[in-house]
Order: sequence, then structure tokens, then C-alpha cells
Amino acid sequence: MHFAGLDIGSTMTKAVIVDGHGAMMASVIGPTGAEHRHLALAVMDETIKKADLNFEQLDFIVATGYGRINVPFADKQITEITCHSRSVRALFPTARIIIDIGGQDSKGIKLDAQGKVTNFVMNDKCAAGTGRFLEVIAETLGIKLTEMGELSLKAKDFVRISNTCTVFAEHEVTSRLTEGATIPEIVAGLHEAFAGRVVNMVRSLGIEKDVVVTGGGAMNIGLIKAVEEKVGFRVLVPQEPLLTGALGAALMGKDLLARGVTSERKRRLEGVTFFK
Amino acid sequence: MSDDREYYAGVDIGSAFIKAVLINQKQIVSYEILSSRGHYKETARKVLDQVLNKGRVRFDMLSGIVVTGIGAESAPFQARQFSDISCQAAGCRSLFSSARIVIDIGGQFTRAVKLTPQGRVANFLMSEKCATGSGRFLQVIARILRINVEDIGPLSLKSQSPVEFSTNCAVFAESETISRIAEGARMEDILAGVHRALAAKAAVLVKRLGMEQDVVLTGGGGEDSGLVSAVSEALEVDVLVPEQPRLTAALGAATLAKEENDKTH
Repeated sequence: MHFAGLDIGSTMTKAVIVDGHGAMMASVIGPTGAEHRHLALAVMDETIKKADLNFEQLDFIVATGYGRINVPFADKQITEITCHSRSVRALFPTARIIIDIGGQDSKGIKLDAQGKVTNFVMNDKCAAGTGRFLEVIAETLGIKLTEMGELSLKAKDFVRISNTCTVFAEHEVTSRLTEGATIPEIVAGLHEAFAGRVVNMVRSLGIEKDVVVTGGGAMNIGLIKAVEEKVGFRVLVPQEPLLTGALGAALMGKDLLARGVTSERKRRLEGVTFFK
Repeated sequence: MSDDREYYAGVDIGSAFIKAVLINQKQIVSYEILSSRGHYKETARKVLDQVLNKGRVRFDMLSGIVVTGIGAESAPFQARQFSDISCQAAGCRSLFSSARIVIDIGGQFTRAVKLTPQGRVANFLMSEKCATGSGRFLQVIARILRINVEDIGPLSLKSQSPVEFSTNCAVFAESETISRIAEGARMEDILAGVHRALAAKAAVLVKRLGMEQDVVLTGGGGEDSGLVSAVSEALEVDVLVPEQPRLTAALGAATLAKEENDKTH
């Protein structure tokens, strides 16, 4: 048995194939991008090849993420809230809170002791507290998004960033630079502000141990440390934080088939149409 | 005799620009706007010197000075301080005695002030410090469209079908603008869409205060004909705009200096 999960995020498209035991056989991560509308197909195709399978050997395909609608080769669409909690529950049975920091949104999910979703909060209205915040300012500072984490660890202290709005924070950062603040101090300040915003949002759910951080934000060690400062204890991070949505989608497919739900649609391995 | 040789100055130390207005008992004598670039003290001194020079008035001939604005504390001369809300209100009522609502759309936020029939501040509301609620939204979009800020208004007025943004965040609207252009959206429709979004935010503040006429639009937003038209449409009235919309707070500061002096004499 083989199950595929496809997570079309605002920034990245992720695909995972698991076997009948739920073990990961292959995964691929590619940029979503406005001009990459056929990328979902390419990512799926590549994952199938990596797993040394062909399309017909997939027993169930679940699509998730903001681009999950209109994936012609998926058997079912499931929200990312459900998919994230499914895989996090499998990876960390003690998880009670999931903080997912994506490219254009951030979410908090609360799980009960059985791992069921009891509540969630989400910000997709404002760039602050999403990956875009760091992306915009990394560009201003002339550094790579992926090096921000390590850079911020070099700072002994952080520069307080008082603006929530990304546009004004960008301006604030340039002023602090001209006043002599170092880039590591500024990046540490950005992480502090970012973590404050995300943790405050999640606080409304009631923060409980264990907290798991997923999404691109979890790949930033400086941001993880800042989140830990705010919640007051260590958080858990999956080995592949970008893949929790896709892995959860694949596992949901396995669950559905086990419950007797079978694919009714005729699947076509073809391009994804967005926004239709 | 109270003659026109009594002079009063108002200085508005804003985050980006410092404005000064010199008045006498009867009218505005001179005014100046300078970009501060973070040098509040030097620029404030320079702006005041320039209005005094233009009016051929010496510093010691001033009967009163009032400073206002975010940087009022850093004024390099002895002066009374008034809040920018009070100054905005005073400036608007000296220009338009019928003003009941003042909308100030600046580079950092939008503010709405409600005035009593006597022109005193009854209440006010401010937007969050969010680029989408301020002129900064226009700057962000103008940069992508590669057009000058001055050209925004006239272009926007040509729009037949303004774009409706799916987001309320300037950062996300920036990427949406790029996709819309790729899809063939017209520049004027994008700008008119930004104007509509800004006007809607201002209208929310006004409705919460309780709409009354007349409405005056000040700040940098008053210099943008597309925004003036969008605000008029959103409120379903013709808004009044001062000749120099960025100077109303400085003018108000000068008139308050005069009122203070009149009270004590």
C-alpha cells in the first residue's frame, strides 16, 4: 500500500509518499511561486519517481494547504489544520500545541490528550508574524533568510523592534543600522518581536506542554530560541518541519482507506488550476 | 492698538517633515516645509529661521511660539507645546469654520477628529500603526509601479474599474499587485484600488465618531486628488481640502499661540 500527501503552501509545495505502515518512502519540496502553477504536478511526479513507484500504485492521494482545491489527481482535500495535527500526533504523542509558521500565515492548533483538534487560531491577514516578515527584512539587510537563525545567535543582546507592521519595521531596522546596531543584534530583535506576536496569538488557546513548532519558521534556530523564551520552556521541532502538512495528508489517506473510504473519482495526473 | 505687527509662529515637528507657519493678527505671513531626515533640532531651527526671513521678522519680535508634533520635545527654542490633535483642529477651524470632522491621512497613520460647533476637539480616533492605514501603502505600491508619488492622484482618477485587493496588508498587497500586473491589470485601476482601501479605513473611523458635515481632509493625503475623490465617495460628501493640507497643524499651532497671547492681554 502507498499513500501520497501533497501540501500546496503559499510559498512551497511539498509532497510525501508513505508505505502501508505509515513510514516515509520519499519526499520532495519545491517553490510554489505565482508562475509555477504546474509545479504541483512536477513535485508529485518527482516524488513518485523517488519512491520508485508509478502513479497507479498510489492507493490514496490527499491534497492540503491553501492551494489544495482543484488538484485533479487528488482523491480528497483536507484542511492543513487536520493534516498538521495528524502527523504531529504521530511524531510527538505528547504534543498539545502546534505552532505552524508558514510563508504567508501562522497558526496555532490545540490538541487534547487523545490528539484531537479542540481549537485553533490563525493569522493570514497581516505579514507580521509570518515568514514574509523575515523575508522582507532579510532583503533590506542584504542577508539570506536561511542564515538569519545562525546570525542571531552571535548577538549578545537584541535591538528592540517597536513596530508591528512589516513596512514600518523595515524602516526602523535601517534607522537602527545607521545608529550603529549590528546585524546579529537586529536579527535577534526581529526574532524576539516575531516570537512575541506568534506566541501572543497562540496564548488565547492556553499554552500547554508539549509545544511543537512546524513550518519554515521551525528551520530558524534563532526564532525557535525566541519562541522558547516567550513560552518559558523547550519546544519540540520535527526533523523535517516543512513536511508535517504533506506527511499528515498522506497519513490521513491511509486512515481513510482503513475506514473503507475508497477513491471514487477518476484521477488524472495533470496540472493544478489555482483560484478557479 | 492691536496691529498687524504682532507675529506668532507655529512649528509642527513630524516624523518625516518639519513644517512652520508665521502669522500676524490678520493673516498668514509665510510658511515652510523641510524634510528632517532624523535631524529634528537643526531642521526645526532652520524651518523657523526661514519663515522669519521670508516674513522679514526677527525672532525677538515674536509674541508667541507653539510647537507640536511627534518631535515637539526636541524643539531647540523656548515654546509652548500643544497636542497635534488640538493644533490640527485649530488650523482647520481657522480655515473652515464649518468643519466638524477632520481626517488626517499621513505617512504613518490615519486619524479622524470630531469638532464641536465651536471648533473644539470633541473626540478623535486613530488607525493602528499599519502601512495599509496610511499614505505608506501608496508609497509601497507606487514603488512597484515605478511612478512618482505626485502622479498617483491624476492617474487614479482615470480608473474605470478599481482593483479589489483580497488582502488588508500592504506587504501582501504588494505581491498581489505584481500578480495583477502580470494578469494585465491597468496601473490606474490598481492605484484607484489602493485609494478605495485607504478611504474605506478612514470612513470606518469617521462612522465610529459619527459622521457630520463639513469634512476636511488634511495631511499628505490631501495632496492626492485620487484619494480626495475616494474619501468623498466613501463618505458620500464633497470633502474640503486646504490649499496646503500638510500645514494645518503648524497653522493651528500659530493660531493657538495667538489665542494664548490674546487671553493674557
